[in-house]
Amino acid sequence: MSDHAVTINVNGVERSNLVPARLTLADFLRERLDLTATHLACEHGVCGACTVLIDGETARACLLLTVQADGREVTTLEGLTEGDELGPIEQAFWAKHGMQCGFCTPGFVLTIAELLDDNPNPSREEIIEGLGGNLCRCTGYVKIVEAVEEAVTLRGGGA
Amino acid sequence: MSLFGASIRRKEDPRLLRGDGRYLSDIKLHGMVHAVFVRSPHAHAHVRGIDSSAAVADPRVVCVLTADDFPPGLPPLPCIDAEETTKPFNQPILASDKVRFVGEPVALVIVEGDRYIAEDIAGLVDVDYEPLPAVSTAEAALAPDAPLVHFESNVVDVLEYSVGDASSALAAAPHTLSERFITQRYAGTPLETRGVIVEWDEARHGITMWSSTQVPHSLKATLVGYLGLPENAVRVIAPDVGGAFGVKLQPYPEEVILGLAAERVGRPIKWVEDRYEHFLASTHGREQYHDVEVGYDDDGRILAIHDHAVTNTGAYLQRLTLVEPFIGVSMLSGPYVIEHQQLVSTVVMTNTTPLNPFRGVGHVQAAFTMERIIDLIAAAVGIDPGEVRKRNMFSADVFPLHRGIGNVLAGEIIYDSGDYQECLSRALATAEWDEFRREQESARADGRYLGIGIGFFVEETGLGPYESGRVRVEPSGQVIVFTGACSSGQGHDTVLAQITADELGVGFDDVVVVHGDTDLVASGVGTYASRSAPIGGTAVRNAAGSIKEQAIQIAAEMLEASPQDLELADGEVRVKGSPASSVSLAQVAGRVAPGQPLPLGVDSYTLDATDIYHPPTNTFSYGCHVATVEVDIDTGVVTLLRHVVVNDSGTLINPLLVDGQVQGGVALGIGGALLEEIAYGDDGQPLNANFMDYLVPAIGNMPEMVVEHMTVPTPLNADGMKGAGEGGAVGAPAAIANAVADAILPLGAKITETPLGPETVYRALQDAS
Repeated sequence: MSDHAVTINVNGVERSNLVPARLTLADFLRERLDLTATHLACEHGVCGACTVLIDGETARACLLLTVQADGREVTTLEGLTEGDELGPIEQAFWAKHGMQCGFCTPGFVLTIAELLDDNPNPSREEIIEGLGGNLCRCTGYVKIVEAVEEAVTLRGGGA
Repeated sequence: MSLFGASIRRKEDPRLLRGDGRYLSDIKLHGMVHAVFVRSPHAHAHVRGIDSSAAVADPRVVCVLTADDFPPGLPPLPCIDAEETTKPFNQPILASDKVRFVGEPVALVIVEGDRYIAEDIAGLVDVDYEPLPAVSTAEAALAPDAPLVHFESNVVDVLEYSVGDASSALAAAPHTLSERFITQRYAGTPLETRGVIVEWDEARHGITMWSSTQVPHSLKATLVGYLGLPENAVRVIAPDVGGAFGVKLQPYPEEVILGLAAERVGRPIKWVEDRYEHFLASTHGREQYHDVEVGYDDDGRILAIHDHAVTNTGAYLQRLTLVEPFIGVSMLSGPYVIEHQQLVSTVVMTNTTPLNPFRGVGHVQAAFTMERIIDLIAAAVGIDPGEVRKRNMFSADVFPLHRGIGNVLAGEIIYDSGDYQECLSRALATAEWDEFRREQESARADGRYLGIGIGFFVEETGLGPYESGRVRVEPSGQVIVFTGACSSGQGHDTVLAQITADELGVGFDDVVVVHGDTDLVASGVGTYASRSAPIGGTAVRNAAGSIKEQAIQIAAEMLEASPQDLELADGEVRVKGSPASSVSLAQVAGRVAPGQPLPLGVDSYTLDATDIYHPPTNTFSYGCHVATVEVDIDTGVVTLLRHVVVNDSGTLINPLLVDGQVQGGVALGIGGALLEEIAYGDDGQPLNANFMDYLVPAIGNMPEMVVEHMTVPTPLNADGMKGAGEGGAVGAPAAIANAVADAILPLGAKITETPLGPETVYRALQDAS
């Protein structure tokens, strides 16, 4: 099995690696770069726990091969935080108890980042539509919706 | 404001939100090798031989282990709630001569490299199976000519309980109804699957095992037994656990096998279950039907009940196999006065993944069955369902109420506290029952079918036997808490810090909570049965109370004051009424630091106390759910409109977190009511072992939710805390099923099973027409 050279900008840093063709992006991030906030829960693209941003758009890292991300910009949860300072979405999750076990949370935070970049002041229906592809088994989603609304306020996007 | 009872945000979250969580699969050790289990693809087969030569020939293979590689005579995994009558159909740690469900582990492959390579090589292990006839449902397993999962009979046990004389009372009852109520097989399916890392530690001639488990101390005890090592040679660590819901509450075969392999391999071994494996190899729950006969009078009063429940418990006994069949009948009557009860619970084996308790075990089926019965009676006698419940409910002055029935591992059922009638009234008021009835009527005139349903439950929580709490004040005045109650997302770090800070008068941020490590926490039980707050929380409260007494005694000498005049507040011990006369908790801790004589009457060079709390018995939470739905009668699709919960978990440590527990439980209950079913073919082959075909609720499935609390304290612990983790999952299926039934009642359709997917509802409508 031959390896392929890839160069991927991950959280603002150029990463050059030799990877086998079958290595998923999720495993590349987790195993090669030790960026373990990208979680694997279903490994077939259903649950959204492994959601990352590729060139600013959400993607499922378990369904992508690393070679497909060659030359692209990848953002993981770790890339949203500078030092110890939490971003507004993370602050909102903390304030509203939007998480319990935390396993699905990185995928939600990145999905919400894209949602609010596209639509800084979504309605409740738009929030529910936007988060329809992420599964959480702990919260019942009630406080996740409240967290998104709080994040809108913290980002200054509220009415 | 007191920290106890405050809705403060969690200690755990900033770390997790920065991506600094440390879940099992995030852990890497130097020189780590990777394991994959070879699992049976057959539901039932003889294993004629295992040829691992092709795998072993690969230079990357460390070893391939089968049952023959382990010492003969290793006992199967224990079932700790087995009765004398329970047939000992326990699970071997690795199958040898026979496999009995798809997913049963047969061999372990360990390789250099990574999981990808391990899976490649596992595919080279050639197991010679001779398939046997299989059976996947309880009904089929009870047939006279059914294939036998083990030997003689597929019936593992028949549990029988009774109070009064149900047969005579049924014969004398003015009315009776007979029905079968079916709850399907579903499972907790935490988003994080199970996983294990084990490392042989030559320094202690033993192992350290990291496992995604709810019960590190039980796992340690199990490993000590299987490995034949002294207790000080085994350390178990539960890192951050990504959800559990009961699925991770027992030691599993994989943990034992990996523990046994550790010394031979001599390098850290990692195994992480994938989602498909999880559906096959992690325990399921629920699958149980109830054949009931109920006697009642013209006023809707229940006079007697006979219930025969049958549970499909899968291919092997697990650690707590009898809980599901036991609670399913023993908690059947819930909040209702039923003088005559005859309860029979048959436990049946099939060639399917074993059952073990998960969130709401047994209570879900009991509440679904009983609450459907009440609505059927209400319809038959023409009285409002809320009124029929009120007429049958215990009043608030009956506590403690001895039910005259025992529960497995838990002694007699004694309801301890509450006000069921008030809970029902509040739930009906919040749900705007009467207004909804009017709305329903006008909708029907428009050809729309709305429904409203009640799901009342009483739930055994706070199961013993004990939990540990240890509190230590460091010389800096900072506090560290150790407990056997470990977290799988509930927020133990936060609520136990709240209790400690409240007791010691220190800041929330001055408390660190440590759990999930058997070297750091000497004894403990773990987290299940909604026990961590009432049992673990009480242990921590008691330990902190001992610290408080010690601190006052030491400070009394320092302040030359009488102990009874001192109090702890703001990180100080001070004289009541004259706060200027004070010493800091740090100074108090410093006063007993080693290197100096101790104060008179003090005998320890540390401010450190441990409590092991044994509750006198369990505490019973309860709640009332009211669901409203719309049913599309052309398609059978159910849309949830609103879900109201009035819940009593006693005194609340952190209402924000309890809201989260109830809401999450309701979501799981919605899954059970409408979406989730683990399906098997008649041949025992799993049909939907993935998240594409097994539907857990997504955000779009959720109705508007309203959660309110009653806080009737239990007398069983000083803070009055009852369990809060499971009730949401218990009440929701009953309420939703009743709402669906109510919606289509005018069409004569009958609802007797879950999940209420479109096909089931449509079929009920067709059967009625």
